Amino acid sequence: MAICTVYTTKLNPACSSFSTPSKTHLGFHQKQVVFYKKSSSRSTRGTSPYFITCSAGDSQTIVIGLAADSGCGKSTFMRRLTSVFGGAAEPPKGGNPDSNTLISDTTTVICLDDYHSLDRTGRKEKGVTALDPRANNFDLMYEQVKALKDGVAVEKPIYNHVTGLLDPPELIKPPKILVIEGLHPMFDSRVRDLLDFSIYLDISNEVKFAWKIQRDMAERGHSLESIKASIEARKPDFDAYIDTQKQYADTVIEVLPTQLIPDDNEGKVLRVKLIMKEGVEYFSPVYLFDEGSTISWIPCGRKLTCSYPGIKFTYGPDAYFSHEVSVLEMDGQFDRLDELIYVESHLSNISTKFYGEVTQQMLKHADFPGSNNGTGLFQTIVGLKIRDLFEQIIASKAKTPVEATKA
Amino acid sequence: MATTMAGVSLSTPRALSPATDSPKVHAIKSSWLNNPWKRSSQFGFVTGRMVVRPVYAAPDKISDKVEESIKNAEAACGENPASGECVAAWDEVEELSAAASHARDKKKDSDPLEAYCKDHPETDECRTYED
Repeated sequence: MAICTVYTTKLNPACSSFSTPSKTHLGFHQKQVVFYKKSSSRSTRGTSPYFITCSAGDSQTIVIGLAADSGCGKSTFMRRLTSVFGGAAEPPKGGNPDSNTLISDTTTVICLDDYHSLDRTGRKEKGVTALDPRANNFDLMYEQVKALKDGVAVEKPIYNHVTGLLDPPELIKPPKILVIEGLHPMFDSRVRDLLDFSIYLDISNEVKFAWKIQRDMAERGHSLESIKASIEARKPDFDAYIDTQKQYADTVIEVLPTQLIPDDNEGKVLRVKLIMKEGVEYFSPVYLFDEGSTISWIPCGRKLTCSYPGIKFTYGPDAYFSHEVSVLEMDGQFDRLDELIYVESHLSNISTKFYGEVTQQMLKHADFPGSNNGTGLFQTIVGLKIRDLFEQIIASKAKTPVEATKA
Repeated sequence: MATTMAGVSLSTPRALSPATDSPKVHAIKSSWLNNPWKRSSQFGFVTGRMVVRPVYAAPDKISDKVEESIKNAEAACGENPASGECVAAWDEVEELSAAASHARDKKKDSDPLEAYCKDHPETDECRTYED
């Protein structure tokens, strides 16, 4: 079986280098890609390379989108997710030390800041933020994610967060699982349609402020005022271009202040909601005790003693942007291991492969932020759900290989 | 601290099956009941436990840039706080602050003692103590 496709794509001039990768590092995809340039003497408007792929396998890259504002836990989530698949995710070996990409055996995580069309100076001159769609090249983002999904390697630009410049591109080969993380994975409808699963991290203003204080207060030049000013200045663009994406997410992790401590404004104890869309293919929401019922559960009592302020779970059906969803909420934090394993044993549909896998993952990364509360718990569970989704898609492709390659 | 050695906890979370996919549940053995993950409070304010850990600063180059960007933002906003120039300047502060934070994390990962302790959590120099 050999299926050939010819793509005609206009690439960013920065990305139109020639490369002929014949096989990925996984030996999983068997596609060939040839880039060649048309003579550009007639056209001065950039280059139009053609690339031809010949597929001999039935492989496909699964694409996951993760959206969140800067400083809201995307990196931690990525570390938890890649850990579920086993093996550490590392920057491309021998590449640009400022590359934003992480690669593990199964997973490649790319940062969508790499698709900035305006560098730092350009944004300053035009007076636009990185949150603004005008600072981002969605055409190139779409073309490259599409190519990777089809099993074709791409030369992706690198946005250097230290210098604020676009560095020479790096070669990205199609992985089994491609994660696109950043500010706008669900903004452009073409990119959104390529996603097999999408997640939005929704951090409430109070918590965002507390997290940024934690992150920046030690940094020279920063003060409460500067942290507040930065959040407030970015807020109109955040509300207009980032926040609006959550309606498209298959799962939203919402992080709020606790309700267990009256008038708490310290932001140390968190209430975290896992909002899971119903009817998503290959994804069945997690539930507590009885699927579809409304439940309020305080695990602490006679059987389990918890430390102050305790732990409270709620679960039930709800509506989110007029979608039917299931919501699991955890308020409080784990201070003892038996609290965590007790909770895990009462959750269903968490897609673990053995008893205690969630607890094991949480302990393995106990030094990551949020390992004792709902952010760590729900990130870990979403990681397991993504593994499950991936395995189901692979299994369904194996059943109908011909159909799969035609798609 | 020396007077409270009775409360010593020999746990470090890194002791847990690094990078293995063994289906054994190491985590729920009773020896781990001294809740090692407690050290990682979301906000880093570790309660009831003393973790001797160096404070990492971001590499100077980025720290300088963060400081400079804040000064620029304050200046750019003096005239018109609603201007694109002001907003873009504060966005640059956020971008650099995030980069500085990532650089600190990276530096922490490349700390030779931390790397050694990942593989040898049981050794004296890798112990963490409860007070």
